[in-house]
Amino acid sequence: MNSGSKHELPAESDWEQWIARHAPALLLFARQQTNRDADAQDLVQEAVVESWRRQSQDAPPPLALVYATIRRRAIDLARRDGRRAGREVAAHQDRPECWFDAGVEERERNMLIQKAMSHLPEIYRQVVTLKVWGGLTFGEIAEALEIPANTAASRYRNGLIELRSLTKEVFI
Amino acid sequence: MNDHELQRFEAELRRAAPAPLPEGFIARLRVAKLDAEPARRMRLEPKPGWARWWRLGRWAAPAMAAAVVGLMVGKGKVDLQSIANKKPLAVSGGLQVDDVQMDHELVNSFDVVATLPGGLPVRFRCRQWKDQLVVTDKSRGVEVQQHSPLVEVVPVRFETY
Repeated sequence: MNSGSKHELPAESDWEQWIARHAPALLLFARQQTNRDADAQDLVQEAVVESWRRQSQDAPPPLALVYATIRRRAIDLARRDGRRAGREVAAHQDRPECWFDAGVEERERNMLIQKAMSHLPEIYRQVVTLKVWGGLTFGEIAEALEIPANTAASRYRNGLIELRSLTKEVFI
Repeated sequence: MNDHELQRFEAELRRAAPAPLPEGFIARLRVAKLDAEPARRMRLEPKPGWARWWRLGRWAAPAMAAAVVGLMVGKGKVDLQSIANKKPLAVSGGLQVDDVQMDHELVNSFDVVATLPGGLPVRFRCRQWKDQLVVTDKSRGVEVQQHSPLVEVVPVRFETY
């Protein structure tokens, strides 16, 4: 048995902590890019692995890079499967999987947010997701989505305004 | 909608936490950790003592042979120079080694997970290496290449991860 392999792997705690902290938001973003939850999980796994492998040092990869990889892989997947149109249409439909924590107290509220998010145009939904739940700065969002930072900021503002109008029954 | 209202709304949205990861997905990410290991770190993996000597021996042997050939040719060249008028260069024999290149390249690395009849999971780390030796004699335009593929299969404990 190779008990020495622990030394050259990313430290157990680093990896676990990084996954625990960021993977839920990564999966949320990926779920918005695909039709199926299985595809979303594949995208996150591939993006995380690829991003960690690209790192020349032991430090975790930049989040913007991971999100950018998820986005590019989702586009590749959609092109490959000829499902892009289907993906965009499906974004306006209710999804079987829960994007947000479905705890008893917050379930209805979170389902409403999910429904409203799924009705947002994709360009707004991506920016709002990366900013609110991904915790990225506008500079990082610009890097992840390959758009100017000012565009990211204006899309964010417009996205929030539209999202609020869609959820006004909850958020007064 | 002013900035204050936007900030309040943003804070409300943040209260909705992303859904927790499915259990199966967490397990997948744990397994994927090995794939995330950069290739450079794989090369630094400490090997058992015998493996280190085996690897060293595999390279020492051809390197030594090349060095001996080089020395013999070099010595032969001096001798040949003294009798150059008597013997044609063509019969001097042997290679004049100008350059020796050795490479040890990781071609592929992957994990295989299987389940024993008792239900115990086992994991094997498989690596495919390519060893290459190139000896060049520029004066004669000769290049000798030797490629040796090597496959390593190492059992790894699940607890390691």
